[in-house]
Amino acid sequence: MSTLIIGLSLGMLLFLLASGLTLIFGMLGVINFAHGALYMLGAYIAFDIGRHTGSFVAGLIGATVLVALAGALIERLALRPLYDRPHFYQLILTFGVILVISEVVKVVWGLGYQESTMPPALAGTVDMFGSTIPVYRLFVIGFGALVSGGLFLLIEKSTFGMLVRAASSDGEMVRLLGLPVASVRMAVFALGSGLAGLAGAIAAPLFPIELGMATNTIIDCFIVVILGGLGNIRGAVAASLLIGLVRAIGYSYMPSWVDILTFSLLIATLLTRPQGLFFRATRSA
Amino acid sequence: MIALEHASVKYGHALALEDISIEVGLHEIVAIVGRNGAGKSTTLKTLVGLLPLVAGRRVFGERDISRLSVEQIARQGVALVPDTRRIFPNLTVRENLRIGAVAHQPGYWTEARVLEVFPRLGERIDFGGDQLSGGEQQMLAIARALLGNPRILLLDEPTEGLAPLIVDQLVEVFAHVHRQGTGIVLVEQNLKVPMKLAHRQYVLDHGQVVWSGTSAELKDQRQLVENLITTGAAQ
Ligand SMILES: Nc1ncnc2c1ncn2[C@@H]1O[C@H](COP(=O)(O)OP(=O)(O)OP(=O)(O)O)[C@@H](O)[C@H]1O
Ligand SMILES: [Mg+2]
Repeated sequence: MSTLIIGLSLGMLLFLLASGLTLIFGMLGVINFAHGALYMLGAYIAFDIGRHTGSFVAGLIGATVLVALAGALIERLALRPLYDRPHFYQLILTFGVILVISEVVKVVWGLGYQESTMPPALAGTVDMFGSTIPVYRLFVIGFGALVSGGLFLLIEKSTFGMLVRAASSDGEMVRLLGLPVASVRMAVFALGSGLAGLAGAIAAPLFPIELGMATNTIIDCFIVVILGGLGNIRGAVAASLLIGLVRAIGYSYMPSWVDILTFSLLIATLLTRPQGLFFRATRSA
Repeated sequence: MIALEHASVKYGHALALEDISIEVGLHEIVAIVGRNGAGKSTTLKTLVGLLPLVAGRRVFGERDISRLSVEQIARQGVALVPDTRRIFPNLTVRENLRIGAVAHQPGYWTEARVLEVFPRLGERIDFGGDQLSGGEQQMLAIARALLGNPRILLLDEPTEGLAPLIVDQLVEVFAHVHRQGTGIVLVEQNLKVPMKLAHRQYVLDHGQVVWSGTSAELKDQRQLVENLITTGAAQ
């Protein structure tokens, strides 16, 4: 049971991270390699705000908003001039952004790792189904579910979501209808970045906060985005939970096989269902 | 009035429009006709700001709009229905309609009104944009443009490839749109639909205006104009 909870919470954390990546790719066609760096930045910011204010919630909000702002800035200043160039240019740019963010983190927080404390309200454990479950894990699951629901409503039901989907298929036509596509793109990049920041803030109490913290997670995150189908939010939810469970179950029963398991899943998907495990006909979210 | 004044436009190094002057009043129906490659679509794209001018001016009302962006020009009330329709395939029919209204003030054309004009769209309202026939796509593209209550509607070969019955229906709709006070620029390859609707006509060839006049004048010179359109040769 606790394996299941750990798997689900891992999956939800992964989803928070992957959703932003898949959103940015699906809507802007940009593969943002700096997503992991934004996640790390979110963790540092949350940690620092938490340290100064003593409030976990302030850390969550602050990390989300500040990283979203950073994303907006990156889009406006660096990415926007490159949309019409080959994808290669955008890849190089997002790599460059990783270096910049890493340097900023080094300068502000130093090289050593930081440890964030659990918010006291979520620090305990509960007994469920005969096992002891950390409350924070349950919080991560509930919060992730909430965010995924909200994101789904935003993309599928709101006017903003409608513009985003329209712009992803034909930005020029959206402009011909009098709508500012450039701002929509910036908002999408900010939203995706904000989600990375939020994921970092949520992850902060679970893992040591350090420069390399994104490396492993971001690989899983790319796997999730591919399994879920590039740009497919619903697919990302399902794939995140799948990977989370595979990892948790794998770690409990055959730890040395975990990576082989996930990568096999990835390769099998790429070979047999390159549009994602959960791809259905023409409509995608 | 929307106008191009001595406008020239290039694709790369190739001149696509050369010193074109075209003017359309906000209560007029004006046709632009010409054979394949004459520069008709280029003219419409230039009017809406998709293509920059290398010479001349783009004017709307009294205002020089040569330097406005595509979305700024659209918000002035200039709507283009492109030749390929460009329905958003990943939006439903309802969303394709709604998005036409987002950037604009409400006016005569509401969702209820366009569905009255195109009942077919009402039957397909929850379909995906990629699940429509060519005729339905054309209706949707026109309806989407109307929901922005444009002051001027630019139509790029709106009847091309459609069944005669649907063409007749569209002609009715365009007349209705005009009666509500919207100017129309109608691009066609032949004179069939223009002769039913247009007050004035321009004939384009090789990126230049080779004939212009009222439809009454055109009637008198029909053979000459037909020759201009099919062979492009002046005289
Ligand atoms: N994107 C483009 N790049 C380069 N040349 C172009 C482009 N679009 C059009 N042209 C050229 O510009 C000229 C005018 O094209 P345009 O599309 O305006 O013609 P048209 O009158 O609309 O023709 P049709 O009736 O076939 O639609 C043609 O010679 C065409 O080859
Ligand atoms: Mg054309």
